[in-house]
Amino acid sequence: MALSGCLVVIALALTLDNPQFADFVLRLSIFGLYALSLNLLVGYAGLVSFGHAMFFGFGAYAFGLLMQTGLVSIPLAFVVSIAGAAVLAVSVGALCIRLKDIYFGILTLAFQMLLHAVILSWVSLTGGDQGLQGGIPRPPFLGVDLGNPKQFFVLACVFFFGLVLLVRQMVESPFGYSLRMVRDNPERALALGLSVQRYKLAAFVISGTIAANAGVLMSLYVSGAYPNFAYWTLSGDGILMIMLGGMTVFLGPIAGAGIFLMLNGIITRTTEYSGLVMGIVLLCVVLGLRRGVLDFVFERCGPWAVRRLSREG
Amino acid sequence: MKKTSKLGRSRRDFLKSAAATAAFAAVGGLARTARGQSNEPIKIGQPTILSGRVARLGESSRDGAQMAIDAFNAAGGLNGRKLQLVTRDSKGRPDEAARVVRELINTDKCQIILDSEASSAAFAVQEVIRQTGTLCMHACSETTSLTANPKIRAANAFRCARQDIHDSIAGGRYAAQFVKQQGFKRWMICSPDYAYGRDVSALFFHFLKESEPSVEVVSETWPKLFAPDYTENITKILQTKPQALYSALYGGDLVTFIDQGNLYGLFDQLTLFDPNMADYTTLEAVKKLPKGIHSGDRYLSTFPNTKANADWAAEYQKKFNVPPINWSWQNYVGMTFIIEAMKKTGSVDSKALSDAIRGMTIDSPFGVDGKITMRAEDQTIINYAIGWGVIIPNAPYLEDIKPADWNVILELEKDWKKKKGYI
Repeated sequence: MALSGCLVVIALALTLDNPQFADFVLRLSIFGLYALSLNLLVGYAGLVSFGHAMFFGFGAYAFGLLMQTGLVSIPLAFVVSIAGAAVLAVSVGALCIRLKDIYFGILTLAFQMLLHAVILSWVSLTGGDQGLQGGIPRPPFLGVDLGNPKQFFVLACVFFFGLVLLVRQMVESPFGYSLRMVRDNPERALALGLSVQRYKLAAFVISGTIAANAGVLMSLYVSGAYPNFAYWTLSGDGILMIMLGGMTVFLGPIAGAGIFLMLNGIITRTTEYSGLVMGIVLLCVVLGLRRGVLDFVFERCGPWAVRRLSREG
Repeated sequence: MKKTSKLGRSRRDFLKSAAATAAFAAVGGLARTARGQSNEPIKIGQPTILSGRVARLGESSRDGAQMAIDAFNAAGGLNGRKLQLVTRDSKGRPDEAARVVRELINTDKCQIILDSEASSAAFAVQEVIRQTGTLCMHACSETTSLTANPKIRAANAFRCARQDIHDSIAGGRYAAQFVKQQGFKRWMICSPDYAYGRDVSALFFHFLKESEPSVEVVSETWPKLFAPDYTENITKILQTKPQALYSALYGGDLVTFIDQGNLYGLFDQLTLFDPNMADYTTLEAVKKLPKGIHSGDRYLSTFPNTKANADWAAEYQKKFNVPPINWSWQNYVGMTFIIEAMKKTGSVDSKALSDAIRGMTIDSPFGVDGKITMRAEDQTIINYAIGWGVIIPNAPYLEDIKPADWNVILELEKDWKKKKGYI
């Protein structure tokens, strides 16, 4: 299903040859992955992280810096930056998951602001507030040339669908169900012999690594990395995307990212008061629907969906 | 099987809507072709900041560009084709700026980009237009490396804005004269803690010490950008008791700093040098302007003190009901370069326009001797008015202005570029 979806999108983009559509799909694959990874924590593990942009920013900077040395190939830089993000996630996660609720959220926020401060002040390495300048080189590898927008588009789509599929497999696996139990009833999980801390840490690391993937894609998309990639506002955007799309449905965060990007596009095209309009729309969704759009749809079509699901089952 | 049917449904819907979109686009395209190209407006895309604390940047940039466009359109445009400015808010975020520029080029069919982004977003715009090859005029970013660094420069991108290095040389030289007269050797720095503040302060003292090696920076304090409270920094300055203070604070931050400094009588005890004071928005926002601050001109209708400049400022004020500021003239001149190139080539082709703009000299009220040149070698403007003087509490606000010597600026800039490995 994911494969055919991937093929349809790629085929559509290539036949329509509409740069705007391709741009939207690219951005959706970046922010969709980002929101999906955050929902692993928020939705499945019950850990509301306010510092998720830390991994997004880390991925973008690590990849950009490695490529700018001119010494490594794209796959190597990719692997190293993702591995780096995993190490970062293990060390930050090990400290954060000991805390619960708001304390967990604030500590993740603190670590993110720490990374942001390092990016801003280590000017000789990161370029400070100007970001990584001069573009990110894209030497061809294994016959793939990411300097070609079409090839980059195809790779980003494959990447996106691949990772979504992976996450889907994971949340439907025993690991995913254990995570839900850890979220809903940690005592029971403990009584059944599950190490609650280990499950939480695993979720934190997986989620951080996927966010770093999104960061790498972003750095290739804008050909640079900027401090706002690791700023709290981006963490906030992630939470908004999840709230918009819904956290109980697997594809909710991706739908939320799509709605968020479309709204942002329409609003900036039509008005100067983007903040005001965006705020009102978000208020309407939050106060009016009281849940994400996909949650709402699924709940409304509840009996039908349940019947369908049970038939399929 | 069921799963396939579910997918089939959504895919059909998706294809249907995609087909509808394509059909709509095709009809639109046909209609456009039928109307013919001759009277279609030439669209200029302008990514900028219209929200948040620096919304003034976007507003004044849009007004400045619009003024040049209106004059050109009133005179008949390019063979009957009018110019149309499409301004979009990027909120100052680099990734959003990149998206907005792509959208302006791909969807709105803008043929030229007038980039009115500050700081890092300008670098993101540079990467987009490097790929698309669209003509781009950066009209707000003052960061030297955008055009000085050959790795960042692009053949189709120009800068029509002040440059940090030019302002710092002028400031350093002016301060050196002051040190010679007054014998002030003990200096202190109070600049915003980010790349711009650090770079400009370092450059200022580099050029000051080059002329006056005896100058000593006895202490430094680095307030955060957009800090609401400067008590800590002011206390440190009062304790250090420097003879002169250099600050690269600007806009709202500078206003807050001066208002709070006044409470402590800070400016009675030392002489402040700030390159960013003499801009109308800043001057008018300060509650009580202390006497004797030394500042560079950002934009003043009295410098250059010519009729052309005063007339331009009066026309701007009449049209938009606000005084022009630095970003206004920069965008106005940026747009003027584009318009002059269109007149010269009769075309809107990026390559043709770029070739025409490179090395072009235009008449401008903001240039030394009424002329500004787009230097060919690094595609940035030179010979614009730079001067330092002393702030007074009422209009014309800056008196005793000493114009900077562009021969000195160009010579020192060249040495500095060699040191940085840019040449």
